[in-house]
Amino acid sequence: MRILIVEDEKSLSKEIKQFLEKEEYNCDQAFTGHEASELIAINPYDFVLLDIGLPDYNGLDLIKEAKEYKSEAYFIVITARGELEDKLKGFDLGADDYLPKPFSLLELLSRVQAITRRKFGHQSSVINFGDFALDTTKKNLTHNDKNIDLTKKEYKLLSYLVLNKNRILDRLQLTEHIWGDFFEDDFDSNYIDVHIKNIRKKLSTYDDSTWIKTVRGIGYKFEL
Amino acid sequence: MKLPKLKLKSQLAIFNAFSKALIITLLVFLLPWLVSKISINETDEILVQKLDQVIELVDSLGIESFIDTDAEFQAFGSYNILKEEYISIEQIANDSVVNVIQFSERNIEDEIVDYRVLSYSIEENGINYIIEIGKSISTIYRFEQNLKRFAFLFLIVIISLTFLFDLSFIQYLLLPFNKIVKKLKSTNHPSSFDYISVNTNTSDFEYLDTTIHALMRKIETAFNDERDYISNVSHELLTPVSIIQSKLDNILHESSLPEKDMLKIYESKKTLRRLTNLVRTLLMMSRIENEEYILTEQVNVNNTIKKVIEEIEDRILAKELELKINLKANDFIINGNENLLFTLFYNFINNAIRYTNKGFIKIESFNNGNKFIVEISDSGIGIQKEKIPDIFSRFKNSNETKDSYGLGLALSKKICDYHKINVEVLSESGKGSSFILNFT
Repeated sequence: MRILIVEDEKSLSKEIKQFLEKEEYNCDQAFTGHEASELIAINPYDFVLLDIGLPDYNGLDLIKEAKEYKSEAYFIVITARGELEDKLKGFDLGADDYLPKPFSLLELLSRVQAITRRKFGHQSSVINFGDFALDTTKKNLTHNDKNIDLTKKEYKLLSYLVLNKNRILDRLQLTEHIWGDFFEDDFDSNYIDVHIKNIRKKLSTYDDSTWIKTVRGIGYKFEL
Repeated sequence: MKLPKLKLKSQLAIFNAFSKALIITLLVFLLPWLVSKISINETDEILVQKLDQVIELVDSLGIESFIDTDAEFQAFGSYNILKEEYISIEQIANDSVVNVIQFSERNIEDEIVDYRVLSYSIEENGINYIIEIGKSISTIYRFEQNLKRFAFLFLIVIISLTFLFDLSFIQYLLLPFNKIVKKLKSTNHPSSFDYISVNTNTSDFEYLDTTIHALMRKIETAFNDERDYISNVSHELLTPVSIIQSKLDNILHESSLPEKDMLKIYESKKTLRRLTNLVRTLLMMSRIENEEYILTEQVNVNNTIKKVIEEIEDRILAKELELKINLKANDFIINGNENLLFTLFYNFINNAIRYTNKGFIKIESFNNGNKFIVEISDSGIGIQKEKIPDIFSRFKNSNETKDSYGLGLALSKKICDYHKINVEVLSESGKGSSFILNFT
């Protein structure tokens, strides 16, 4: 997978690149709109992470240009500016997703993965652990083909943990993922814990293993 | 005394009418009096002239030619046929001296006639005589009466005509002023101001108009600058926050750190998140103040509430609260901004959940005449009575134990004002709160 990071803040661009490269993505950086425009014209990118607040370019014009070059890249728009209007305009112009600044890198990764699954019809849409099977296309969890009843939020939480297996997910990341960017003040609340408790209870009726480990004070980790 | 507020045009018209009524009253009472005064004065002058003539006659002809000294009744009198004038000469006591002009009623041939009478005493041959010359004043009285009657009518006609004339002139004169006022009335935001200048011959109005234009442009520029400023500041703030967050994410990602360092990084991320929420909320409030959100979406409010409930129902379950939903308002569709309304209900309902530890959360909607009402109530900790007026102010929080900046309710209030929704808060400390939203 080849990703172009269009971001004028070099420091931020560097962090994103470092993170994504660890996830085995090939990353190019463009710090200006013109650089980005040239790179998009030459290279076949799978994804373009586009900060539309570029100093020399209206970021949204890049999407238009890319369509003219017949680029097949998926655009994830990053912005700190007038969120709502740009969101609408972005989708109209063919942006595939939208992330308001600041975003967690994990959330960015999860968006990239979601688009990958959606657009490339990823073959391994079923993740197995023990006798459980999490189907990311059907969005359900089964145990030996027997459906386990999870609420929407529970599924979202579990799949996020499973997709990021063996990695610590803190409460902030989990909250951001399942409730989005509401003006949440009480992310320290125990809502996540209650959900985890319920998921564990549901899993434990089938299996004795502790799939979800608590990382004290921070969050949870799915171990496989 | 508090006078009612009136338009300039009406005030001028009322003043005009009032001053004219005053003039009529004055003239109706004063004019006849003045005219009769003048007539009487004139009469008096004539009487004096006549007296001079009579005295001359008496001197040249002698008193005997008027009064027969032998007669029993020492008097002379002469009336003209119409009884308009008379002259009489009478003998009087020696020591009386008379020289007056006065009104007097005389009975002449069974007819009472009002006279202006000049009485003057002269001495002739050692005997005192009084000469009286009278002139009927009934004509003067009649004239005065007629004047009263006709002057009144005449004045009414004249004044009505001038009043109408004045009124239309005032109207014409104030036309540019009215246009200026109309322009201001139809402006609820500097960007919607009509910058076409008003045609006028009155320099004051021209000055007013150009001044308003200049000020309006200033405000508009200030608005635009503020909007740019907020957008830039938020961009400038959120980008560094984003950099720090990414760095922290990457550090946590290594996961080779000791637990206590990881906790510290997580705490920093939380603080950063608080800063983010603060900036985003302030940004949203400023954007509402700048009217950047369109209000033309047809929003089915019951559906929006349902979406919010779906989003946070799990929190109600997590806290084991009873959720009572009764959305029975019919045709609850308003023009508004769905995203903002979503945020509004999210804030109110989330707040209700946050401050309720046992009992229920109740969400209702119903019709009230042609208005809609949404009521969100809970059995939570409630709000102290003296703090209710402050709950919508920025950075004031009724519950100091939670580390929130109290911007959520301030934002909600902004959204309500923007949608012209009236919010009423009923709360009793310890028993629960109720937020009643009146959609007008």
